[in-house]
Amino acid sequence: MSDKLSRRDFLKLAGVGAVTTAILTGCGPASRLVKREPYLQMPEYTYNGLSTYYATTCRECAAGCGLIIRTSQGRALKTEGNANNPLNLGKTCARGQATLQGLYNPNRVRGPIKHTRGERLYDTATDPFNDDFADAKSNMDWAAATQTVADALKNNKPEEIAFLMGMAPDHLFDLVTDLANATGIQSPVRFGALSMFESRATLSKASENLFGQTGLPLFDVGGAQVVFSFGANFLETWLSPVSYTRGFSALREAQTKQRGKFVQFESRMSSTAGKADEWMPLRPGTEAMVALAIGRLVSEIRGIPVPRAFSDIDPLDAASKSGIKLEMLNHLAEMFANSTGALAIPGGAALGQSNGLAVAEAVLALNAVVNNFGKPGGVFFSALAPNQTEYQGPASAKEVGEFVQKMIDGKIKVLFVHGVNPFFELPISLQFGGATKNIPQIISFATFPDETALEADYIFPDHHGLESWGYQRVATGSVGSVLSGAQPVVSPFYDTRATADVLIAAAQLAGGKFAAALPFKDEVEFLHSKVTPLINEADGFFSAPDVNTFMAYFQQFGGWWKTTDGRSIPNSADVLNRSLSSAEAEFAGEGEFFFVPFVSPTLAEAGANKPWLQELPDPTTTVMWNTWVEMNPVTAEELGLEDDDLVSITSEAGVLEVPVYRYPAIRPDTIAIPFGQGHTAYGRYAEKRGVNPTDLIGQNFNEAGDLAFAGMKVKIKKIGKKKPLSRLESIMGVYGVGLGEEK
Amino acid sequence: MAIELKVSEVKMGEAYVGKWGMVIDQDMCTGCQACVAACAMENNLSFVGETDSGYGRSMHWIRIERFWEGSYPEVKMTPNQPMLCQQCGAATCEPVCPAFATVHSQAEQLNLQVYNRCVGTRYCANNCPYQVRSFNWRDYKRPEPLPNQLNPDVTVRRRGVMEKCTFCIQRIHKAQDKAKSEGREVVDGEFTTACAQACPASAITFGRVDNPDSLVSQLARVHGHGVKHLEELGTLPNVTYFKGG
Repeated sequence: MSDKLSRRDFLKLAGVGAVTTAILTGCGPASRLVKREPYLQMPEYTYNGLSTYYATTCRECAAGCGLIIRTSQGRALKTEGNANNPLNLGKTCARGQATLQGLYNPNRVRGPIKHTRGERLYDTATDPFNDDFADAKSNMDWAAATQTVADALKNNKPEEIAFLMGMAPDHLFDLVTDLANATGIQSPVRFGALSMFESRATLSKASENLFGQTGLPLFDVGGAQVVFSFGANFLETWLSPVSYTRGFSALREAQTKQRGKFVQFESRMSSTAGKADEWMPLRPGTEAMVALAIGRLVSEIRGIPVPRAFSDIDPLDAASKSGIKLEMLNHLAEMFANSTGALAIPGGAALGQSNGLAVAEAVLALNAVVNNFGKPGGVFFSALAPNQTEYQGPASAKEVGEFVQKMIDGKIKVLFVHGVNPFFELPISLQFGGATKNIPQIISFATFPDETALEADYIFPDHHGLESWGYQRVATGSVGSVLSGAQPVVSPFYDTRATADVLIAAAQLAGGKFAAALPFKDEVEFLHSKVTPLINEADGFFSAPDVNTFMAYFQQFGGWWKTTDGRSIPNSADVLNRSLSSAEAEFAGEGEFFFVPFVSPTLAEAGANKPWLQELPDPTTTVMWNTWVEMNPVTAEELGLEDDDLVSITSEAGVLEVPVYRYPAIRPDTIAIPFGQGHTAYGRYAEKRGVNPTDLIGQNFNEAGDLAFAGMKVKIKKIGKKKPLSRLESIMGVYGVGLGEEK
Repeated sequence: MAIELKVSEVKMGEAYVGKWGMVIDQDMCTGCQACVAACAMENNLSFVGETDSGYGRSMHWIRIERFWEGSYPEVKMTPNQPMLCQQCGAATCEPVCPAFATVHSQAEQLNLQVYNRCVGTRYCANNCPYQVRSFNWRDYKRPEPLPNQLNPDVTVRRRGVMEKCTFCIQRIHKAQDKAKSEGREVVDGEFTTACAQACPASAITFGRVDNPDSLVSQLARVHGHGVKHLEELGTLPNVTYFKGG
């Protein structure tokens, strides 16, 4: 076609291109017209060598950081943080940086597919570096796909239709919620492995118990002088890592104030604990009593009557059970009591135990002794996002378990899955995989050929996050209320379609109450209906005289947020007058080792298909491209194990084979395995690499309904084989291997 | 014959102020690898796969070093140490290159790596005390459509070529060109390197070390306890580390 174009035609086309893309940067209501222009029809403003930048939202985790994507000639080139977005202020994490390797991943679902469960979605026989690859071919068109969704909505009873969605409270969640409210289909269940590993439900339940208010606490690390963290890996993946890392940086800042101190209590030194001034390797399960003991000692040091919350605890007993010496507890209590800004944070594995709720309450109560609520360096409730009236946490593992039970009981006839990969993220013990056999129809909206798509009857791929419209409510991490906005930075690479568009079109086809529930032309119109009411709100980062200008700004700045402090102050009046439990956690299983699964800081739950994330060294072990089990060198010696020796690890739920990494900073009675690898699908870079530690996690819950993932005991057996791990550090480095200094 | 080395007679580099420099606060660095990923994305770094990375062939222009001190339970992780080309004023890599591929830029006071001159002797990597050079042992392929994200401002390297951190020289030049076209000097903070831009802890700061008012210079003054790695070798590094703690 190109050789038939006259110069005049070319200029005309270029003009059209200029209009469409100029709109994309934010000039009007027709902005849904997004086109990726071939070089021949380059938009007028696109000079060779000059880039265009678009603001959007990172979808690699649920935090909702703002991004600016550099594009050139229709291609996305580089991710940067959006300096305007108050959540991340121009910064990104490694996963945000690598998001382009998802967009341009060699293994994506390229179009709608009618699929036989279990049938491969791409050819894996090829070399991962080879160009020759074969993704499953699209075998239906979008009209048929939309009709399939419409039929699924129409031909089933509403209560038999269910949605399983990702953790992020985004526009699609709002759309499905609206649909559910209007038609009686089941309310969407949001879940992610990250919410399980960060014990989000336990944290919010504990604050509800103590403060009488639902919400997600926000810890002002940056304003504090002394931070005690019980298991919260806030520099890795916990809640909002970029924002918490900024807080940590402010804590450490020593030019204008005193350098803040940081103590981490956990049995394995995470990369967060690696930054702590003191690492307290307490016995797993004793976190609650240690927190209460410190609370008691702090009250005594401060000369206040020991409140009821701490009255039952004997510090000496806590010291002997936890393995932290009494002198050390006294030292820590003095540090906490004498500081002008002390802060205690509960999170992660400390809460993922049978007594997790008690741990969370005990640690939150520590804040009450120093009464830091609502003060700089203290505890707040996170600001609710602009179009949100109450905190909407993701489902706890127990709620997901109940959902699975409904599946087993045959109460769900059609399951829609979007933004989550339950076959990988949920422990096998929750039996999601078996339960899907009772569901006649599973429709996946997966962008990538993941394990769940592999078990679906239809795959109707959504765009990648960088090709999508949307918004995401920021759940925590910012002072003000933030709605991060998303827009396509490039036009869709494949024949994918926005799930919101598919649902809206299908609802129209299904007619009746479905059509009435979603009376929109497309996703953008729905988005506008949700965002434009903000035009009347006060204290916005920008305001506009009319809706079109408002939406243009919304795209240009990457969302809308308030300039005022939206945090609320927890009501702490009753915290110390309660009786708090100091009971130790109970551990499931027979073995002699405590088992701590933790989220890989670089891969997290969905990073494994991005080759550069695979090649990032783990911050603590420097291992790349694989899974390892961390074991104290003393324990390894006792078991006759060296680095790279394969061991089998048996829990009550399963068995895994994994190579040993002798890790000097872990209790001798504890082992740890990172979560992030162990895929059986999800593209060439993820598949058949490492193991998934959720296979070992049994079906044990804490009182808040979170999984007691860190409440397991396991057995270890030497296999007698080796699996060499790729690591950045020299194996000569730590233990003198090859230098003749080996022990 | 043993050579007797008298420290007093070793001729050190003269008092030296570079041009572009960096300060890295190790007390703030959390080791999160955002800089490593940002560098890889900006500079078209190849990934090499599990086997080759196990042989130490991974292409990290910046890496986070961490060491252990003591043994359990008194074990400590040393402050994370981002290690990248120190852009030495008297670089040991430069004089050993037979092809003049690694040369000193007089204009920018940086160590350049001219890829199309490099013949792959690897002398420079052997001679670099910081071990920050990566060699392309193979033509590492990027399967389609991954090449779509390649940065058009940065050359893609092939097998047999040495590469290393450039202080994002493409960004330096872009900022200089822009400033020149607007008839002004480059303003401090107008641009920064990919690693510094990404760093969520703001541990990395980049700028003009020859300008006393720039943020890097101010930070170096305020901290006062900045160190340069292996300074005793006389390499005159342009990266200053704050150990902190």
